[in-house]
Amino acid sequence: MADLAIEVRGVSKRYAQHVAVRDLSLAVPRGAVYGLLGPNGAGKTTTIRMLLNIIAPDSGTITLLGRSNRDDAVLDRIGYLPEERGLYKKMQVRKVLRFLAELKGVPGAEADRRIDEWLERLALKTADKDWGAAKVDELSRGMQQKAQFIGTLLHDPDLVILDEPFSGLDPINAQALKDAVVDLKRRNKTVIFSTHLMDNAERMCDAVCIIARGEKVLDGSVAGVKAEHGGSHIALSLGDNAAAAKNGVAAVLGDRSLVRRADDQNRFFEIELAPGASPQQLLHRVIAAGASVERFELVQPSLHQIFLQRVGADNLGVEVGMSGHG
Amino acid sequence: MAKLWVVIKREYLERVQNKWFVISTLLAPLFFSALIFLPALLTLRSMRSAQVANIIILDATGAGMGARVDSSIRAARPRAEAGGVPAADPGMQVRVVEPGAPLAQAESLASRDVRAGTAGGYLVLDAGSLAGDSARYAGPNASSRAVVDKIERAARDVSLGMRLEGAGIDPAKVQQLTSKRLRLSAERLTATGRGRTGMGNVMFGMAVTLLLYLSIILYGQNVMRGVMEEKQTRVAEVVVSSVSPDKLLAGKILGVGAVGLTQQILWFALTAGIGAYVAPFFAKSARAVAQDMMAQGGSAGARDMSAMMGGMPSITIGQVALLLVFFLIGYFLYSALFAAVGAMVNDEREAQQALGPVMILLIGSSFLMQPVMFNPSSDLARWASLIPFSSPIIMPLRMTMVQVPPLEIAASVAGGLLMVFLFSWLAARIYRVGLLMYGKKPSMAELARWVRQAA
Repeated sequence: MADLAIEVRGVSKRYAQHVAVRDLSLAVPRGAVYGLLGPNGAGKTTTIRMLLNIIAPDSGTITLLGRSNRDDAVLDRIGYLPEERGLYKKMQVRKVLRFLAELKGVPGAEADRRIDEWLERLALKTADKDWGAAKVDELSRGMQQKAQFIGTLLHDPDLVILDEPFSGLDPINAQALKDAVVDLKRRNKTVIFSTHLMDNAERMCDAVCIIARGEKVLDGSVAGVKAEHGGSHIALSLGDNAAAAKNGVAAVLGDRSLVRRADDQNRFFEIELAPGASPQQLLHRVIAAGASVERFELVQPSLHQIFLQRVGADNLGVEVGMSGHG
Repeated sequence: MAKLWVVIKREYLERVQNKWFVISTLLAPLFFSALIFLPALLTLRSMRSAQVANIIILDATGAGMGARVDSSIRAARPRAEAGGVPAADPGMQVRVVEPGAPLAQAESLASRDVRAGTAGGYLVLDAGSLAGDSARYAGPNASSRAVVDKIERAARDVSLGMRLEGAGIDPAKVQQLTSKRLRLSAERLTATGRGRTGMGNVMFGMAVTLLLYLSIILYGQNVMRGVMEEKQTRVAEVVVSSVSPDKLLAGKILGVGAVGLTQQILWFALTAGIGAYVAPFFAKSARAVAQDMMAQGGSAGARDMSAMMGGMPSITIGQVALLLVFFLIGYFLYSALFAAVGAMVNDEREAQQALGPVMILLIGSSFLMQPVMFNPSSDLARWASLIPFSSPIIMPLRMTMVQVPPLEIAASVAGGLLMVFLFSWLAARIYRVGLLMYGKKPSMAELARWVRQAA
């Protein structure tokens, strides 16, 4: 399976009090942008640390770029951005970056050249200020995150692993990160990132895996996952007299024989029909309730909806950041 | 190996380029030199100024002993100072106290004079002094060894002379016989040769031991802070995704150890350099004092001087190599423990608590230094130099003072190495788990689980 960047087979990790990951298998094709989705505490970070051989699984095997992840040489071709970010505070930015690059086997002179390139590219080195010469703790939080991101990519890795890359990023840095991921994809690198922000995943990923409570809920290409869950989702927009018809519409959407779940966003609703109910029936009832319908469309569900449907809204942590600010 | 080298390089360069490292490396030798030379210089000065002058001799012997002690003290005054002519009058007064008259009254008068500053002190001679038993001296300079020695010597000589004369021996003969004084020179005898008295070795052993002890604390804590920094800033996770925690730990300990060796080599070299610059001045004034002393007929002071000047420690290259081995064993043993503590804790306060057991081992070893110094051949000294936690500190001290059987040295090194391996293994496991573990400080049971589960 040389065309797989990551192959995880039957991996489990147990801690004293709980099972962090249970019998997880993943296959990430080379050149893909892959999302590892799940609520907080689902086992995403544990999975990623096992990928990088930072912690060892109790059972199962992990293959990266066609070689065991216990092979030190393979780690040199991987870039990793952990969720908890940090650099040596009292060290000069340039020296930290050279250290990280040298740890990946990049010779010092070559590292220096790439560091300059990246510092300029991310506007950390301009005509009037070279932040590379400053100490890490003189940089703002946003700049430190950029520096850390440079450290992840300096050795031009074939596989980039990002743990919650969007958490704590301001919109400008988030955009820079998205651009960088797209650029990596264009250069045929593999990117896997974990997130609980479905919007980002939906826009960026070729394929996803949703995990909850340490177990895989589903995986596959984004298009495949959506097609699998399509056919029973309806996008509904109401016109200006929405307020008048609000109670009536609410009653219709509350009918569990017709609607399994409705995501009420005031003027826009994403609706999942109950098993056996037909869209015509729903449209009829909504109009009968006095609402003026602007849009009524059979749609593929968003990852957000699939996630809610499969993991369940009762799952703690799901609500955190669901609206997406990245 | 290449990655290990990258880690060592960072640990070393980041510390050596720190401005506090530069400052402490340059300033400490000045401090060390002051520590070595100032006391010696002060001793020399006090020896020169230890002249017995202007004292009152209360003579209650009724045999004219006071006058003879007076002239004996005057005669002992260095000729060099007076340029060959009779010494200047030291202004001593002999007060003869008639037998039967109250001695206490004469004493209170004399002590009033001393308090008023018109006399430097007073010496009481009585029948006991004549019999060679006792005499008393009182004065503000009574704690000066040199002053008391001189007076004691004069009184003893005069007493002996008078008793010999009483036994019917010719005074000239008495003078000739009592002016001879036996000198004891002590040599340290070892299996490989003989050296000077232990004085230089004791000083050297003490200095080396203190340096070892301080270095282990200093650089061990440095390792701990390094680990804590990586944990607190969360940089550890990035680093261990590139290099195994074992290599990171090894690189850190080796890098900091190299910093320690660099600093100590510079300290030795700079202190020796300052010493070479200062020594000529020092030797000149020491020679002058020694001449004065010799002029008095080979006093004890002159012997002390020559011991001090010639008391360079007799240390072989082999011993220096062994000292280095013990430093490395001690440093590796304790820095592994310090690193484990660093990986266990979340902040400085927790670190101080968790350090307790480690510091008890270290400070306990330092408490053993004094008893071992007094008796380096005792059972206590032997055991302390064999038990791995104290051996890196105590064995070097013993080695510089007495001849330690090679078998004991070998056992000490072997035990130390065994512990180094055991504790590195334990520390590496605790480090592996602890580095990425945040939250509550682990209990002993949790630590044991960390060690078991770290694969």
